[in-house]
Amino acid sequence: MSAFLIATSDSFAHAFTFFGNNTHLMWEKTLAHLKIAFASCGVAFILAVPLGVWLGHLHKGSFFAINVSNIGRALPSLAVISIGIAIFGIGFTNVLVALVILAGPVMLTNAYVAVDQVDRNAVQAAYAMGMKPWQVLLRVEVPLALPLIFAGIRTATVYVVATATLATFAGGGGLGDIIVNEASYGVAGVVAASLTITALAFATDAVLALIQRFVTPVPMRARLGGRRTQQVRAATETI
Amino acid sequence: MGPAGQRGRSRPGTHRLRFGAVALIALIAALFVAACGSSNSGSSSSTPSPSSATSTPAASSQPGKGKPSVTLGTKDFTEEFILGQLYKQALQHAGYTVNYKENIGATEVIDKALTSGKINAYPEYTGESAVTVAGVNKTVKSPQEEYNIAKAFYAKRGETMSQMTPFFDVDAIAVKKAFAQKNGLKTLSDLKKLKSFTLGARPEFANREQGAAGMKKDYGLNNFTFKSLALGIQYQALDSGKVDSADVFTTDPQLASGKYTVLKDPKNIFGFQNIALVINTKKLQALGGDQFMAIINKINSLLTTPAVISMNKAVAIDKQSAAAVAKSFLQANHLI
Amino acid sequence: MIGSATTFAAGGPVIPNFGKGDPCVVRNGQFCAHWFFQNFSSRFLPRVVEHIELTAIAVSVGTVIAVTAAIVAYRHRWLETPFSLFSAFLYTIPSLAFFEIMVQITGINRFTAEIALVSYTLLILFRNTLTGLQGVPRPSIEAANAMGLTDRQRLFRVELPLALPAIMAGIRIATVTIISLTTVAAFIGVGGLGEPIFNAIQTGFKTQFLAAGILAILLALIADLLLVIAQRALSPWTRARRT
Repeated sequence: MSAFLIATSDSFAHAFTFFGNNTHLMWEKTLAHLKIAFASCGVAFILAVPLGVWLGHLHKGSFFAINVSNIGRALPSLAVISIGIAIFGIGFTNVLVALVILAGPVMLTNAYVAVDQVDRNAVQAAYAMGMKPWQVLLRVEVPLALPLIFAGIRTATVYVVATATLATFAGGGGLGDIIVNEASYGVAGVVAASLTITALAFATDAVLALIQRFVTPVPMRARLGGRRTQQVRAATETI
Repeated sequence: MGPAGQRGRSRPGTHRLRFGAVALIALIAALFVAACGSSNSGSSSSTPSPSSATSTPAASSQPGKGKPSVTLGTKDFTEEFILGQLYKQALQHAGYTVNYKENIGATEVIDKALTSGKINAYPEYTGESAVTVAGVNKTVKSPQEEYNIAKAFYAKRGETMSQMTPFFDVDAIAVKKAFAQKNGLKTLSDLKKLKSFTLGARPEFANREQGAAGMKKDYGLNNFTFKSLALGIQYQALDSGKVDSADVFTTDPQLASGKYTVLKDPKNIFGFQNIALVINTKKLQALGGDQFMAIINKINSLLTTPAVISMNKAVAIDKQSAAAVAKSFLQANHLI
Repeated sequence: MIGSATTFAAGGPVIPNFGKGDPCVVRNGQFCAHWFFQNFSSRFLPRVVEHIELTAIAVSVGTVIAVTAAIVAYRHRWLETPFSLFSAFLYTIPSLAFFEIMVQITGINRFTAEIALVSYTLLILFRNTLTGLQGVPRPSIEAANAMGLTDRQRLFRVELPLALPAIMAGIRIATVTIISLTTVAAFIGVGGLGEPIFNAIQTGFKTQFLAAGILAILLALIADLLLVIAQRALSPWTRARRT
C-alpha cells in the first residue's frame, strides 16, 4: 500500500514538471488530439443528426434508430480502428472514420427519440394552424427537441475525446502518442498526458453542458427531469 | 421465517423468474468452466510445455527440473519474438519453467522491467546495452569491444550476459530505390545534399545517439523532420510516400525485396548490435548457472545472419507464427 | 529464396525450409481467408478464450463489489456520494494509461489488468444498482413490512428482485465496455483479442487486423444480445403485456 502511495505521489509530482519541461510537445499533441476529436464529432453530427431528426419527424424506422446506438455503444473502439487500418491504412482518415462510427449512433438515436417524442399536442396544433410539414419540423419539433438532441451530442463528444487516445495506433497523433511511448517520456509523461486527456474530457462536458442549458427553453429545464429521473431512465432502458 | 401461508405456495410468475435466474447462473457457470478448464495458452503461459514428440530427453538432460521458474521477456518487434521463442522452447525442453512475457516494449521500458524484477531476463543488443542502457557513448571498432563494454556494465549492476550471436542487426536508414537513384544517395552523408526530407522512425529513435540525435551530431544532418511511426509500419510509410526515409533494421526481410536502398553508415554511429541474453545474476545462479547458460549459448552460436533473416522472413512476410518458426529451427538443429 | 535445408561448414546451423508463403499473405491482400482458417485455432481461438476469461472475471468481481457497495449505500446514504465520485474518477482515467501505470505497481500479469478492468465497471454498476433499489415502489416495501419480513428478507425477496432490471442493464453495459477495454489491455501483454491487433502493427498484416477486429466486434455483439435475453427473462414484468 505504501509503495502504491509513494509511486502515485511521485508520478504526480513528476508529471507537473513534465508539463513545464515539455510545454511545446504537450501543446502540439493536445491540439492534434482535439483536432481529430472535433473533426470526427463534426462529421458524425452532419451525418447522424439530420437523419435522426428526419426519421423522428416521420415517426418511422424506430427499430433501426433506437438499436443503432446499442450497437454503436457495443463496438470495441480498438477493433473498429483495427479494421480501419486494414481498409484505409494508417493516418487521419482511418481514425476519423472509426471515431465517426463510434460517435454517430448515439447522436442519431438521441435525435430520433427527441423529435419522435415531442409533445403531440404541440405538433397537432401547429398543423392545425396551417403550417406545412417542414415548417412544423423547423419551428416546432426541432426547438422542442433541441435539449435531448444536444444531450446526445454531448455524450458522443466526451466519449470521442477520451477514445481519441487510441488514434496513436493508427498513426493519427494526439496525446495517445505520449501514453504509448513510456520509453521516451517516462511515467511522468504518461501521467501528464492522461491528466490532460481527463481534463479535456471534463472541460468538453462542462462547455457543452453550458450550451445545452442555454439551448433549453427555460420552462423545459425542470420538466425534463432532474438527475433522478434521468438516472432511472438510463438505468432501465432495455431495448 | 415468513408467515406460514407463504411457505410452499408457488406465486404466479415465480417459475419464470427462477428459470431466468437458472439461465443466468448457467451462463456464468459456463464462463467459469471455460475459464478454469481451458488450457493455458498465449503469451503469458506459465506451465512447462510437454516434451516435443520428436525426442524424449533423458533424465540427465533435464537440468531445469526442480529449479525455480524464470521470467523471460522480449521487446516489441518480430526478431525479438523469434529470439524469445527460441530460448523459451529450448529451456522448456530442458525442464525449466518459463514465464514468458512477450512484447513488453522498447529498451528503456524493458530494462526497467529487468531492474525492478518484473522479468529476470531478456535478449538484448550489445550496442543498445552499451549506449542506451549504460550511456557509454563511444564509437567502437568491433563487436567484441561493444560486448565488453556492455558486459562490464551489467556485471556492476548484478546482471550476467550470455555469449553473443554471430549475427548483428543494426539500425539503418533506408529510402526507396528510385529516390536514392534520383538524389544520388549512397551513404548517410549524402543526405546533406537534400534541401529537406522526412525521416520516419519509432518514437524513441528521435533522441538516441544511435539514432536521429546521432545523425544530427555526427553527420551534421539538420535538414530533416522527424515523423514518429509505430514500430512495424515504416515500410508501409515508405511505400506510400508518407516519409522520404525510414529507420529500418538490417535483418529485416523486406530489405531483400530490392525495393529499398540502405544508406551506408561509415561513421558507425549505429554501432554493433549482436544479441546476448541479459539475466539477473542471482536468478541465474538459482537456475543452475553454467548449465542454464550452456543452453542459451548453444542457441546463440547457431544464429548466423542467414539463419535470422530466413526466420524473420517466415514470420514477417509469410506470417507464420514465431512459435512455429522457432520450433522448426530448434528441431532441425536437434535442440528439441 | 530459401530452398531445401542448407547446411553450413562445421558448427553452422541447419536452416529448415520454412516453406513458400501463401501468395495472398506475401502481397498483403485485403483478407486471406485461407491463412485465417488455417491459423484460427492456433492464433485466434486462444485469444477469444482469454478475452472471455478476462471479461468474465472483471464483470463478476465488479458486480460483487458494486452491488455490495450499492446495498450499503442504500441503507447509509452518506456512502453514495464518495463512492460515486471515486468510481467516476476511476472511470475517467484513460485506459492505456491506467494499464501502464498499474504495471509499475503490480507487475506484468493478469492481476494488473483485472484491477484496471474492475475499476471501470464500478461506476455504471454502482449507479444502476442504487438507482434500481431506490426505484422500488413504496407500496411494495410497505407490503413487505406488513407481511413481517425482516430488513434482510425484504432486501433479498423484494428490493433486489425489483431492482434486477436496472442491475441487469448495468451488467450489460459494463460487459460491453469491458470487452472493449480488454482489447486495449493486450498492450501490457495479457493476451486477448487485442494481442493480434498489436502484433499486426509490427507487420501491417491486413488479414490479422480484420480478423481480430471482426472477432472482437462479434464477441461484443453476441455478449450484448445474450445479456438482453437474460435481462428480459429475469424481469418479465417490465415488458408490456396484453392481458
